[in-house]
Amino acid sequence: MEPGAGESSATDDYESLISTTDSELLKRAWRNEKAAPEILKFEAALVQRSRQQIQLMEETVEEFAKNGVDPLTVSLYQMDLDRTLFLLRSYLRTRLQKIEKCVLHIQKTAELWNRLSKQEQKFAVRCAGDLTQHLEQTVLSKLPDQYQSHLKQSGASEGDDMVPEPKLDIYIICRSKKFLGAFQLDDSGEEPVNIEADDLYALPYKSIKPLVESGQIDLV
Amino acid sequence: MYGKKASELVKECVSGEPGQLTTFNNDLFAQVIEECNGHLLHLQPLMRKIQEHENKLKDKRRSEDEMAISEDERRKSEAEKTVIQTAMKADQFGALIHHLSLVRNKRCLMAYVYNRAEVIKSLGWVVDCVLPEEIEEKLSSSEKEYFKNHAATLQSYTSELDLDLTVDMIPPKDPYIKVRVLDDIGEIVLSDQVANLARHAMLFLRRTDAEQYISQGLMEELTG
Repeated sequence: MEPGAGESSATDDYESLISTTDSELLKRAWRNEKAAPEILKFEAALVQRSRQQIQLMEETVEEFAKNGVDPLTVSLYQMDLDRTLFLLRSYLRTRLQKIEKCVLHIQKTAELWNRLSKQEQKFAVRCAGDLTQHLEQTVLSKLPDQYQSHLKQSGASEGDDMVPEPKLDIYIICRSKKFLGAFQLDDSGEEPVNIEADDLYALPYKSIKPLVESGQIDLV
Repeated sequence: MYGKKASELVKECVSGEPGQLTTFNNDLFAQVIEECNGHLLHLQPLMRKIQEHENKLKDKRRSEDEMAISEDERRKSEAEKTVIQTAMKADQFGALIHHLSLVRNKRCLMAYVYNRAEVIKSLGWVVDCVLPEEIEEKLSSSEKEYFKNHAATLQSYTSELDLDLTVDMIPPKDPYIKVRVLDDIGEIVLSDQVANLARHAMLFLRRTDAEQYISQGLMEELTG
């Protein structure tokens, strides 16, 4: 649907207006979180506002139901409410499952730790504690002294080599809203990739990590 | 052969269907741990011998540097050093093999326990706090404890947030869904109605209410 030349600026404004509504932002955060292999920054303000709006909608729907407003309208509002709730729950759930998967790695890396909300940090601490205790009880306490660490393979290991890490070089499909020009993918000397607006690209996550963090690229 | 039993354990873990647990193989587990202890018993004397060889070499070198010795004596001393070094190499290789086998066994054991723990974690999302019997008898006692701890951790997070995260697993299509009740549950107070859930009853329920019964297998959704 090509906008006419004279209307293009108006459509752009409309689109930018739509894209900043909370539900659009929530959808975007949810999509990014689902597609990314590691945990992204926690959108605290967005979650807070969404919860307030959900509460408002619940009260509105209750009032409508009591005042006997047309049931179709009520069920439409209810539907919208359900869908927003689903987005919020799924967003939090995806984050939690990512934390569960790599909890030891997240605890070690300060950058990832700072991306969690306060409640998620508490959850991560307890989760790591549970896992460590379980591993120690089952395996580690029965092994010889030098081999009892759950982080290192043995006393002679140099780094923490028993901690599973998320795979950052998987390919993901992404789209950029604006024209970003030539973008150098990595240091191996390959040609830079031309990133146009609204084109779909399949790129390794590691290369576009900084773009995702600054919000210039969306994951699909 | 070293490491064979451990790889059997890992194969057992992988060969089952993904997401399903087999009974915790206590016997094989204990055998692998015994093997590890055996490795340690071999490793310790070897390390001691290596240390002795190293001390001898150090002494020899020091004595060479300190005293002025003749050409003959120097040659004899070099020959002795070579003998010690060869003996030390044999011990070092033996120690290396034991150390590497021990580390491999440790990795296999940890992989076995860790993979089972991941399956248990995913169970915690589906089932609330009580495990069905068929699953419970496959877990070791430590795993049962882990499941309880994990469920409690999830519970503490959801209560802090005040938002139930175990419902709404699939995107909603309709606010109300048609369900058929499979087991007698009796009269339940739901969010907007009081329903009598008798067997084979077909009702229109709110999605979030019905989901917990569907995941427990007490109801089924009627599509179309």
